[in-house]
Parts: sequence; structure tokens; C-alpha cells
Amino acid sequence: MGADSLIEIKNLSVDFQTDDGVVHAVKNISFNIPKGKTVGLVGESGSGKSVSSLAMMGLIPNPPGKVTSGEILFEGRDLLKISEPQMRKIRGARISMIFQEPMTSLNPVFTVGDQICESLILHKGMSKQKAWKRAIELLDQVGIPNPAERIKSYPHEMSGGQRQRVMIAMAISCNPDLLIADEPTTALDVTIQKQILDLIADLQKQYGMSVLFITHDLGVIADISDEVVVMYRGDIVEEGKTEDIFVKPQHPYTKGLLACRPALDKNPKRLPVVSDFMTPDGQEKIPDQAILKAQKETREISSHQTPLLEIKNLTKHFPLKKGFFGGVKTWVKAVDDVSLTVRKGRTLGLVGESGCGKTTLGRTILRLIEPTSGSINYSGVDVTQLNRHDMRAMRRKMQIIFQDPYASLNPRMTIGAALMEPMVIHNLGANKAERLDMAASLMKRVGLEPSMLNRYPHEFSGGQRQRICIARALAVEPEFIICDESVSALDVSIQAQILNLLLDLQDELNLTYVFISHDLAVVKFIADEVAVMYNGKVVEMNDAVGIYENPQHEYTKKLLSAIPKGMPKHLLEA
Amino acid sequence: MISFWIIVAYLVLAALCAMDLVFTNYDVVNNSQPYAFPSWQHWFGTDLFGRDVLARAAHGTVTSLIVGFFGAALSVVIGTFFGAIAGYFGGLIDDLITWFYSTLDNIPYILLLVAFSFVSGPGLKTLCLAIGLTSWVGHCRLVRSEFIKQRGQEYVQGAFAMGASHSRRIFIHILPNTVHLILINFSLGFVSAIKAEVILSYLGLGVAPGVPSWGMMISDARLELARNVWWGLVAATLFMFFLVLAFTLFNDAVRDALDPKLRDK
Repeated sequence: MGADSLIEIKNLSVDFQTDDGVVHAVKNISFNIPKGKTVGLVGESGSGKSVSSLAMMGLIPNPPGKVTSGEILFEGRDLLKISEPQMRKIRGARISMIFQEPMTSLNPVFTVGDQICESLILHKGMSKQKAWKRAIELLDQVGIPNPAERIKSYPHEMSGGQRQRVMIAMAISCNPDLLIADEPTTALDVTIQKQILDLIADLQKQYGMSVLFITHDLGVIADISDEVVVMYRGDIVEEGKTEDIFVKPQHPYTKGLLACRPALDKNPKRLPVVSDFMTPDGQEKIPDQAILKAQKETREISSHQTPLLEIKNLTKHFPLKKGFFGGVKTWVKAVDDVSLTVRKGRTLGLVGESGCGKTTLGRTILRLIEPTSGSINYSGVDVTQLNRHDMRAMRRKMQIIFQDPYASLNPRMTIGAALMEPMVIHNLGANKAERLDMAASLMKRVGLEPSMLNRYPHEFSGGQRQRICIARALAVEPEFIICDESVSALDVSIQAQILNLLLDLQDELNLTYVFISHDLAVVKFIADEVAVMYNGKVVEMNDAVGIYENPQHEYTKKLLSAIPKGMPKHLLEA
Repeated sequence: MISFWIIVAYLVLAALCAMDLVFTNYDVVNNSQPYAFPSWQHWFGTDLFGRDVLARAAHGTVTSLIVGFFGAALSVVIGTFFGAIAGYFGGLIDDLITWFYSTLDNIPYILLLVAFSFVSGPGLKTLCLAIGLTSWVGHCRLVRSEFIKQRGQEYVQGAFAMGASHSRRIFIHILPNTVHLILINFSLGFVSAIKAEVILSYLGLGVAPGVPSWGMMISDARLELARNVWWGLVAATLFMFFLVLAFTLFNDAVRDALDPKLRDK
């Protein structure tokens, strides 16, 4: 491989100094990125994949981080040894990077044109006029419509997908030899993700550059990468050609990662998780027979027919512009005349892109947001008509689990206090000791140790926090739970665990869910019925299998085709 | 940690002075030695009436700490209250409170202080009230913006979905998450209240004449400096400087200790 490789990483180790001692973020890894090829670097959060890429850019924060050994050879020069001014000539010009969060990686006070021109002027020595012209060409290349006008836009005037396109335009502006893409599509909708992936693949061919694509989701890179490197806890556990990894994965971790993504063409009772394949220390494990069986069985679509929740003509308008005298001039119709029925013991999936009104709909059902008009009938009671006192009693039956497990727990409350709070509000449990017992059993129910009750939220990982949020929702013994993008912020491997947990709880407690997500594959796995929302309206509704096999609306078809297939295209066709 | 012990030392000193256990000679007039140069007997010399400057500066600590504490406490309570309800409820309540404090804020601070002291006459109580009632706007703005930020957070929405009442969401959820800001603000308010006392006393609107106060001492120094008498000014300034410095350093330590996110880093 040596001759045609652009960058060679040899025995790289990176340590981080923390209060709890030294953390070996990257342990003695070696891999190559060949010229003109795309390498996918896959692993869960904390596996060391981002740290490795930062090391290539010479951006390891020191302290607390330190490269303890190894070399990064770029055209024969060791990037770890060259001086900072030399590194600056490489960074941005020869190696450039795009980040996960397009909202925060652009400077809000400069136009996108200014920001693209900056690196052209800096690295290419172009004049202002020439750089501006080139910037328009670049915007055109990354598919921004009407680039000559849009170049004068500020970041907030663009959508998330467009901002990511601008980031890509900036990254390729100096014809880099290597483009590092660090989870560039994780924050985007599935349909936008597809566009960005296609764009990166196109540009890679056009410019003949190498791409290092970092992601937690193997499915995303199936089509665009030539080689895959799988990292786990700072080690490379497997590397090879993309086809080999997808067809004959060797390491149990890779097997687990490949299996845990919900597939559109299957309907299993239970999703496989990484721990089915591997012990925590990375050894292969023979999967449990019962679990294997559940994974193979097809989940029956629930046949319950009793309606629990009936929504009729629900509307929520937000004021957008106010007139001079305070009268509202224009409204945003976030939820526009929606009627839905949720049946007892079943799961209704609600799919749509960001801004389609699905979150507003969820919150309006719980009256976290007051509806503009319409009725919400919950087992015979119109929720919209309840007074404050009755509504509070009603809240015991209806709960919500949010998207961001970091924001949804009060950072100043111990887990125990957070779990006992709903019991206090609704007078459950006679005294503190009894509530503590209940909290402990809730912890066990969601798969956590009761001994963790007196810890604070920041001591937990994202997946653990989401389990705590589920436990808190269960504390009041609800009948109905809205899961608002509850797994979207999690790694695929953790997502599978949480989805399994939600299904188990539904079976045990006969819960009814409304599951809101932008990912149709996830919704199809968990839901019995699926409603597709677009621009505040429900445009299509069918059972989970039907919507996949026979989509009616244009938007549903688009959503379905955008979902990564989890397998390279040519292999799927073969 | 040093800052903490300096503050404790000030508190102890103030307590001892208030109980008349140390520096009991602060009011002893000795007309035979006005403006005595610093010596072993009088470390910071004496003033016009031959009173020990060090003892007067030490007793000034009592005045300063009382004004600092009650002035800052009053302004933080008012500011937090209005800021919290404005930020939490928004809408008309927010508009009204914002209008009110913006109006108040447009009147020069010193003018308000002077007007207040002038109306209710000089004295410690007036000072605390005047400082408290005129300096809450900054706290109010800060708490309001923090409440606006926090009320949309999912943990507050989650509490709402759980059936938590307004007061529960305000006091049990949001307030503890703003408490580090409030405490730092209190600490900063403490410092500015001490400074305000000095300024008011300097203008003759502070404590009653005869009560030992750093502001009075600095005010007197105006005339004394012309006669090359610098020790009164130096004593008052040093006492004030170390107290203010200690408080400023203490702020940082308090913030680090109170923020659970910082605590583990």
C-alpha cells in the first residue's frame, strides 16, 4: 500500500490527562489513506475516531491531550514533527475538514462569501475579486441554487443542509489532497444526508482527492467508501475493503454494528445489539438463543383497535411577523388541520423532516403548547377543555421522552431526586423510603444499577441518560408516552438498545406510544402505524409494512429512497 | 482559598469591633496630638481630633460590611424576583417589567441614590435601602435572560409534562440552575455597594457624621492631603482594596464550586 498512500499513520497513541487519571484515547493505531480513495472511519462516541483525525490536523488540544508516540507521514513528512507555521500551510490548504454541526461551524457575522474567500486569499494568494468569482463557482459546484446572489447571504439565512454545503465549499476551495469529514451528516435529515453524501462522492471523483469519512453509522458509508477502518475504545479492531467488511465482517464488534441498524426490508421482534456479539472486553460471544430467536421472528403488527387518543382538526399557528400596532401579519402553520387516531397498546410513528411540525404536534397533544384550534380526545376526555387542576391529574397518564438526553435532565438534581419528583407531584408512595424503593426498581427496569441513584446526570453517558429519562417517564405509571426523536441523538449501537427497551416496556406495561422521528427505518421498526408529516399536514398514513411496500405520497417515496441501505449498492443489486 | 480567609478575617474583625472588644479607642479624642505621623503607638497616625486612624478604619469595616451585605441582598432579591417572573412568564408581564427597569435605568444611578438619601435623611438603614432599590436592574436583566434560556430547556419542559406547577418549575428546576449566577452577582453587588457607600459618604449623604466609615475618611482626606497628611487615605484605601480583592477572587472560587459541570473537570 505504501507507494500510493497519501497519508500513513504509524503506531499513533494519544493520551488525555483527566482528574481521574490518564485516558488512552487512541492506542497505537496504524492505517493508510490511499490517494484518491475514500476511507470510512467507524466507531461509537469515545472510540477515538475524532481524536485520530484531529491529530492529522495537528489540532489535539494540549493540555490535556498529548500525542505520546507514532508518526503521521504525509508525502514522507511527519506531520507531528513539523513546526506550527509549516503546519498552517498544510491545514486548510492540503488537508481540510468539515464538521458535524453546520449551525456552529460558520461565523454568524460574516457572509458565506467572505468566509469562503478567506482561505482562498490566505492560501492561494488570490485577489479579493478573483476569490469572490471562485467562491461563486464553488457554491455552484456544491449545489447552492443562484450562487451569485446567495454568496451574500449570512449563515442564518440558509438551511442546515445548505450550510453544510457551504462548509464543503470552504473545505474544497483550495483543492485539498485530503478531506476529513467528521460526522458531516449526523445533524441532518435523512433526505439531506443523502444529498450531502452524493455531493461528497461527486467532488471526490472530480477533484481526485482522498476522503476520510468519520461516522458512528456503518450504513452511511456503505456507498461512498472504498475502505473501512473500525475503531473500538481506541483500538482498530478491523480494517479492509468495504465489500469485505459488509459481507464477511470478522470482528464481533463490526458484526454487531452492522446488525443493529434497523433495516427497511425486515421486521424483527428485537434488534440485535453489539453486546449480543461481544463481551465488554472485546471477545467474541455466542449469542443467546432466546435473543437470536426474537431477532429472527417477525413482529406482528398489533391488532388492538380501541382508540385511546383521537385528534381532530388540530391546528397550531405561531405568529411570525407583527404589524406596527402589534397585530399579527403572518402566521406559521406549524400544525395544520391534523386528524389522527392512536389505538391502545399500539405505536403510532410520526415521520417528517425538521420543521415539518411533528415536534409541535407532539407537544400540543400534551398541551405543553396550547393548540390554536381542534380537539384532542383522550379516552373520552377532551384534553383541550381541561382546567389546570384536571390537566395536572391528566399528565400522570401522558408522558414524554425528549431527544436530547443531555438537556432533559436537571443538572442540579441527582437521578434519585429526578425519579422521585413525579411521585411527589402526584402523591405516589407514602413516604420517602417507599419512593426510594420505587425509584430503585425503576432503575432496574430500564437496565441501570439502583446504586447510581445519588449520582448527577453529567456522570452518565448519553445512552444511560436516555434510560433515566425513560425511567422518569415511567415513574407516574403512564398509559401513553410520546417519544420525541428519543433515539436520534444516540449512536446506532446505543439506539438499538433503547429501541429494544421501549418495545420490552410496551409489552410488559401495555403502553401506547407516539414515536416521532425523522428516520423512517427506526419508525418502521418500532411502529404499528406510520403517519408521514409534511409542511404541518399529515400527507399519508398506513400500517408500518404498507407504508414501506406501497408508499403513495411523493415525499414518502423520497424519504424511503434516502435511507442508507446498509450495504454497498452493487452488492445489493447482485 | 486565601480570599476566603481574608473575608473571614474581615468578618471576625467587624464582629469584634461591633462588640467593642478590639480597637476600643476609635472614638477617643486626643486634642493634644492632631494629625500625628504614623508611629508604633498609632500605626496609621491620628486624624484631626487625634483619634487613632487604624482603629477608625477597622471600625469602618462594620459599616462597609453591613451596607455591602444588606444593599446587595436587597438588590439581588428584587432583581431575581422581577427577572425570574419576567423571563419565565414572558409576554405582557415581561413587557411591563422590561419597560419599568429600562425607565429606571435611564435615570443616572448616582442621582437616584442622592435623591433617595436626601429624602429619607442620612443613616445606615437609608444607605442600604437606597443602594438596594437602585442597583437591581443589572441582576434583573441577567436573571431574566437566564430564565428565558432555561425555560425552553427540555428538563423544564419535562417537568411541565410531569405536571409540575409554575412555582415548582421556577424554584426547584430553574432557580437552582441560575443560583451560581445569582451568588456571583450578589458578590459583585456586595463590592459595588461598598463602593457606593464610600461615594455617598464622600458626598456627605452617607452615614451620620461621627460614625466611622471609609467613605468619610476618604472625604476627610480631601482636605488633609493639602497638609501632607496621607495616612487617613492610605488606611481607608488599603482596607477597602483587600476586601474588594478578596471578594472578587472569592467569586471565581464560588462559581467553580457551585457548577456541577465544572466540578468534575
